[in-house]
Amino acid sequence: MTATGTTVYVAGIGCVGGFGAGIDAFRAALKQGCCSPTPLLQQHPDGQPFVPAYLAQTDKLSDFVPKRALRRLDHYARLALLGGYLALADAGLSAQDCEDLGVIIASGYGATGTTFGFLDSILNDGDSCASPTSFSTSVHNVAAAYLSMQMQALGPNLTVSCFEQSMTAALHNALCWLQSGRVRRVLVGGVDEHNPVVNYCYGRFFGTQTAAVLSPFSEQHSALPGEGAAFLLLTTERPGLSPVRLTDVASGSGVPTMAAPTDVVLAGADGHGATAPFYRRLSGETPALRSCTPCYGSLPTGQAFDLAAATLMLRDRCCYGLCAAPQTNEAGSCPAPQRISVVKYSGDGSYGHVRLQLEEGSRHA
Amino acid sequence: MAELVCITGIGCLCAAGNGLDEVVNTIFAGQRRAASPRAFTTSHPQPYPVFAVEEGWDVEPEDADLLKTSRLGLAAMRQALDQAGWSVSDLRGLRVGVCMGTTVGCAMNNEAFYAGYRSGATPDMQPIRRFLASNPAEVIHRRLGVSGPCQTIVNACSSGTDAIGLGSQWLQAGLCDVVLAGGADELCRTTYNGFASLQISASELCRPFSVDRCGLNLGEGAAVLVLEKRSLRSDKSVQGLVRGYGSGTDGWHLTAPHPEGRGLRQALTEAFRTSGIQPSQLSFINAHGTGTRENDRAESLVLRECLPNIPFHTTKGYTGHTLGAAGAIEAALTLAFLLRQQMPASAGFGTPDPELAMTPTRVVTPFEGNLALSQSLAFGGNNAALILQRGERCL
Repeated sequence: MTATGTTVYVAGIGCVGGFGAGIDAFRAALKQGCCSPTPLLQQHPDGQPFVPAYLAQTDKLSDFVPKRALRRLDHYARLALLGGYLALADAGLSAQDCEDLGVIIASGYGATGTTFGFLDSILNDGDSCASPTSFSTSVHNVAAAYLSMQMQALGPNLTVSCFEQSMTAALHNALCWLQSGRVRRVLVGGVDEHNPVVNYCYGRFFGTQTAAVLSPFSEQHSALPGEGAAFLLLTTERPGLSPVRLTDVASGSGVPTMAAPTDVVLAGADGHGATAPFYRRLSGETPALRSCTPCYGSLPTGQAFDLAAATLMLRDRCCYGLCAAPQTNEAGSCPAPQRISVVKYSGDGSYGHVRLQLEEGSRHA
Repeated sequence: MAELVCITGIGCLCAAGNGLDEVVNTIFAGQRRAASPRAFTTSHPQPYPVFAVEEGWDVEPEDADLLKTSRLGLAAMRQALDQAGWSVSDLRGLRVGVCMGTTVGCAMNNEAFYAGYRSGATPDMQPIRRFLASNPAEVIHRRLGVSGPCQTIVNACSSGTDAIGLGSQWLQAGLCDVVLAGGADELCRTTYNGFASLQISASELCRPFSVDRCGLNLGEGAAVLVLEKRSLRSDKSVQGLVRGYGSGTDGWHLTAPHPEGRGLRQALTEAFRTSGIQPSQLSFINAHGTGTRENDRAESLVLRECLPNIPFHTTKGYTGHTLGAAGAIEAALTLAFLLRQQMPASAGFGTPDPELAMTPTRVVTPFEGNLALSQSLAFGGNNAALILQRGERCL
């Protein structure tokens, strides 16, 4: 467990996903407990012709970046930029405040669209006609690079990729940077984009009969792919209202040790059969186990959305998401949380565990 | 950096050899083991030479189902642990972190699978399973069965340098007792075609910092350093120390360095500040030195203005550009040169470029002193620098 010696606050959150873009859209989906996936044409004869996926739109990015500057940006970079700008806006910051801002991006798969686009250029036209634009925008650190270029965020800049544990890994570094005084503020975000090839892999690995809805605590495989970006703006400076603190980051295997009492455990249970047993074990340990995955789908960096959801729950003094125990999904059955643990498992049983806490004595926003 | 970060083991393999001693001997012998790619075919009219790891290094059958990138990382890890004297069972009682840099190791770019998918066939899923099982840091973490942070850094060509720097920060923050940090990358068709498409691959052996430099040669390999606090085993011999780490951001262009080297200056400033070391204390600099027009121009400008009169060289003429492994391999080599108190000639350097006004070492050069700097520049505007100290005089 990495207890933060320095007090670290979540000053802003920004997210874009199948639910829409921004806090209000995310909150609406969280209150509903889910959002509807989009039927997506499967571009391959194997399996069913349409498969559902939680797809994100990035139109709102033009609120922050001139349309001319967006012309050459691919979907992955747009997701990252929109999530990042929304987090800055939520924190009351503008691009002019970014000169010393650190940036850490977590991504499970990186820019898959441009990666396969680059392979298309080779397969279509031969090795000598490979697309330089696709290659240069397919590198894993492209999202962090665009954030630094657009925002002129010139602090330390890092991209990590560890599949489901990517977001926990990113937070480990963010805490190190803040505690050592390397940065005052750091923008930490999870970004993954959907791609037809990913859908195809889902079908091959998990069967072509997809579930109609994502059921986080079902014993049946029900994962539906999602995409998007969710960002936290972390700082050592205390925000004015409802300050949410990031108190612990830990990784390990088995059942996480809850070093201090927690009111809610937000599980990254995203319908994958391989991780379901681990979340079921967690359910046995923790009565207040909830999940928000039906709001954003299954993606390696889903933990970033859970952290945004937990921040909203603490700010709003309200429980969102589906509870593992169905009877406690009734209105008013969950007291206002003060401390939330966010847990994400990988298929091998390793976990990332992050704790957020509403600062005592804080006033409602 | 307040807490001493000791390096107790170094593993390294690349085209120049399997094991740090062999690599260093090859370099000081002036050998450049480049050839046309053997692991894959290409249809370029003229092949671009690459620096491939020679066969015979890959002896563990249990690793067979992993990507070559991860197997290279495991091989370097075993060398490093052997030198450090750590058994796996001893490590399992400690908080051991793993931090590895890569590019290819995290890229879902298997061309055969994708070609099959695209054609409407039902491709074998083994390449995807292999990709999902081969995250370079996770492979080492899983193989050792250790607990502690586990991260794969994908900062393009500065990944290996950043991985060592971040691993040092974990030790100093008290997150770990030991960190295995480094980088690994393999040659692959995708990156080969990618660099060719950007027109920065050389069709002959690279000539970093020369007036007639014409691009880079790709390479492959891995290096892993065992980092630990001095207090952990005070009786253990120490190969070196990580004295400082810094990183900086260009915020400029995806594939071209900032013309004034903005991010590199920032990385150097932080590395010197965190180490408390003055530039004049350095014995030499291991430059990134890819041999591309733009990299060498920006890098030499920064060297000229920020670190004047300090001898420098580049080792990419011996190893090729190993991308996510480069920073780690070059850190390992920097330590080896410090221990040997000699720096090699910069392979491929010929006629000085008047625009650069900087000349790397042309011959094997002895030096006195214990400190050196290794720096990396990367796509995306990432820059990173490590200040390393020779080990034997520090305790």
